[in-house]
Amino acid sequence: MPSERTLRIASAIVAVLGMAVATYITIADAGGGSPVCVAGGGGCETVAKSSYSHLAGINVAVFGVLGYIGLLGAAAVKDDRGRLAALLLSVIGFGFSAYLTYLELFVIDAICQWCIGSAILMTISMLIAITRAAGYLGALPPASPDMPDRQAPPESLD
Amino acid sequence: MSKNERQKEQRELKEARLRADAEEHAKERRSNLFKMAGGAILVAIIVIGVLIVVSQSGSDTKKQDAKLAGIPQNGLVLGKPGAPITVVEFGDLQCPFCKQFSETVTPAVIDGPVRKGKANMEFQNFVIIGPDSVAAAYAAYAAAEQNRYWDFIEAFYAEQGTENTGYVTDGFLTKIANDAGVPDMAKWEKDRKDTSRWDKQIKKTQTQAAALGFQGTPSFAIRKGNGALKAIQVEKSQDLLDAINQAGK
Repeated sequence: MPSERTLRIASAIVAVLGMAVATYITIADAGGGSPVCVAGGGGCETVAKSSYSHLAGINVAVFGVLGYIGLLGAAAVKDDRGRLAALLLSVIGFGFSAYLTYLELFVIDAICQWCIGSAILMTISMLIAITRAAGYLGALPPASPDMPDRQAPPESLD
Repeated sequence: MSKNERQKEQRELKEARLRADAEEHAKERRSNLFKMAGGAILVAIIVIGVLIVVSQSGSDTKKQDAKLAGIPQNGLVLGKPGAPITVVEFGDLQCPFCKQFSETVTPAVIDGPVRKGKANMEFQNFVIIGPDSVAAAYAAYAAAEQNRYWDFIEAFYAEQGTENTGYVTDGFLTKIANDAGVPDMAKWEKDRKDTSRWDKQIKKTQTQAAALGFQGTPSFAIRKGNGALKAIQVEKSQDLLDAINQAGK
């Protein structure tokens, strides 16, 4: 089991990458255009122009940006609140990404690499959050050999 | 046992008891936290469900349904087939202005004179943008064979991409036909490949548009009964409504 610090750092890196992807999609949409697929083809355009790209009038990528900001915040919080928040946000993000990927494959019939990229990052986030929660949720802080009855000092700042 | 040894033993016993209490407490706390984690996952599932429901209900297709609901469609014609006046739109499905007109200009006509049976509307594929427009026109004509032409046009506009980017693929057109509610997809697939038939229709529209002096899309013309088509200048809904009133006199 990796240390919680390692998991939190990994989660923060994934959240920053996800934020970059979702921000790119949001900016491309706000500018009246569409994200450009790196390998060419009109997949990104088709997906971005589909009626499913907006939720209650808001581009779904905006929800992605907010979700990744939340995950970054959860990675910064060291206690159980951070662990639970990361779990909640990443499961929502993963579920909704899975639904959007289903739409791309079977309803819109077009694939947007940026959206798939975000879905992969969200999946990694969820796996990290589950590992963190399973391994560290409510765990006793490591006992100090000198003071067995007292809690160990809080983790040092990253 | 010396006094010191007894004291040491008592201290160790106390420490062991405290440790056991702490462990018990931590175990209980951990169990509660895992229950909370389960609750968080449950909340997440509910949120995902709500997001999916909102996503489905927000689809543009539903709005199109409301716009055309209850109005008959026959081939290329929207509205009562025998209506005294016909408004003909010369449009290209790839053209963003045509989409804009379908959202801001024609709804007043569709919901007014067309719904009331005073006029009907015809859409002619005046393909001027590129090969994607031709593929779109074939697919639209095939939908017209099953009286879903106007649904197809609306569904196409809802998903319209940037001109000539190659987005009008077979998959894209199939999705549009599905959105438009084309009942027999196998027939639609077969019909849209009957290109020589649709090419004749497209050629006829081009000749008509040239005779009316049209060079861009959307362009509009009006006809009373079986009379000749007359070009009309349209910038807003009122222009079309006035032309219909004028033709009706």
